[in-house]
Amino acid sequence: MTKQKNRRQSERQDPHWIEWLTGIVSALLVLAMLGWLGWEAVMRPTTPPDLSIHVASTERSSGGYRVAFNISNAGTTTAAAVTVIGRLIQDGRVIEENPVFFDYVAAQSKTEGAIFFRNDPAAGEMSIQPAGYTSP
Amino acid sequence: MADRTASAEDDQSEFSRFITGLGRGVAGALFFALPMLMTMEMWYLGFYMARQRLLLLFILNIPLLVVLAHRIGFEKTVSWRDAARDAVVAYGIGILTSAIVLAALGLLRGDMSASELIGKIALQSVPASIGAMLGRSQLGDDEDDDTEEKATPYHSELFLMGTGALFLSLNIAPTDEMMVLSYKMTIWHALVVSLLSIALMHGLVYAVSFVGGHELSPETPWWHAFVRFTLPGYIIALAVSVLTLWIFERLGDSSAIEIMVSVIVLGFPAALGAAGARLIL
Repeated sequence: MTKQKNRRQSERQDPHWIEWLTGIVSALLVLAMLGWLGWEAVMRPTTPPDLSIHVASTERSSGGYRVAFNISNAGTTTAAAVTVIGRLIQDGRVIEENPVFFDYVAAQSKTEGAIFFRNDPAAGEMSIQPAGYTSP
Repeated sequence: MADRTASAEDDQSEFSRFITGLGRGVAGALFFALPMLMTMEMWYLGFYMARQRLLLLFILNIPLLVVLAHRIGFEKTVSWRDAARDAVVAYGIGILTSAIVLAALGLLRGDMSASELIGKIALQSVPASIGAMLGRSQLGDDEDDDTEEKATPYHSELFLMGTGALFLSLNIAPTDEMMVLSYKMTIWHALVVSLLSIALMHGLVYAVSFVGGHELSPETPWWHAFVRFTLPGYIIALAVSVLTLWIFERLGDSSAIEIMVSVIVLGFPAALGAAGARLIL
């Protein structure tokens, strides 16, 4: 409980027990959070972005085919401006090549994207690979 | 005859008081919501954010406005019915002001889908309505309550901190800068930011003597207020940050530690908002 007089407020001397309970629970939560952060800060090594791509589905769309994929970053550093290039290869020749850009792939996180192809990816070989990134 | 003129005059002043209140509400909505009305990410969120989350935000805002009206409502709201009426008026001012400003800035056009138009206005009306509510109370002249003694129960002190935290997080959570910061920071940075937030929260309310600041009686040790008010306030600020980040779809498929870092980044302004609310409201 807080009393206000002349716009100056003073805390009461005899607080209800619920105020102390809330305070103690909050203190424990803050300590747990700081402890966890400290533990991670010390124990987690700094590794560069490690990007891998997993194709989720290939579907027909109005202009051809849509290949949806997940891109995940196993490293503990975030990658920015990630370029992903999708290629369709038939008889050793690249017949179609389309890029897609991700603003960010956060550290130890996953995000989704899709590439459109005019040709059927099932007819030949398809490769979807990260081409590069910058530091955020 | 004399009676009738008197009551007509009463009606007249009642009416003009109401109009003045509306004017203050519009001014407050503009003051507080213009930064968000002119933020690109807020326009985009209006059409891409999940409708369920937008609806949740829209509905959560109603009890918030009612409680806020009950506490600070401009016509010295006494009953909860008056508070509900004030809240509805503030929400209306928020929606209308957002619609007019968005339209004036060329962000609402006839060829947009209804969902986009409504989404944009609905999202902006949340901060605008809080602004309208604050404008009606804070921009008005307080004739009598400067000297009166007023007790704030503990739960409403916590509620005020939540409102302040929500208001500042709504300003900052939608921006891309928020996420870029959390990508650039290491965990050590996050640790420093969280300690800084707690220290500033306590300092703002107790150490520097602002008007509306809180005092401790000399025999109370400093950590009493720290445990009872500042730490719960910080937890509330972090909880509000999680909520706004989730509503604005900023959490994604990130790992727990990455989420924690972005919550701490947003928790910084939220904590200052919480402390500010204790001073102002």
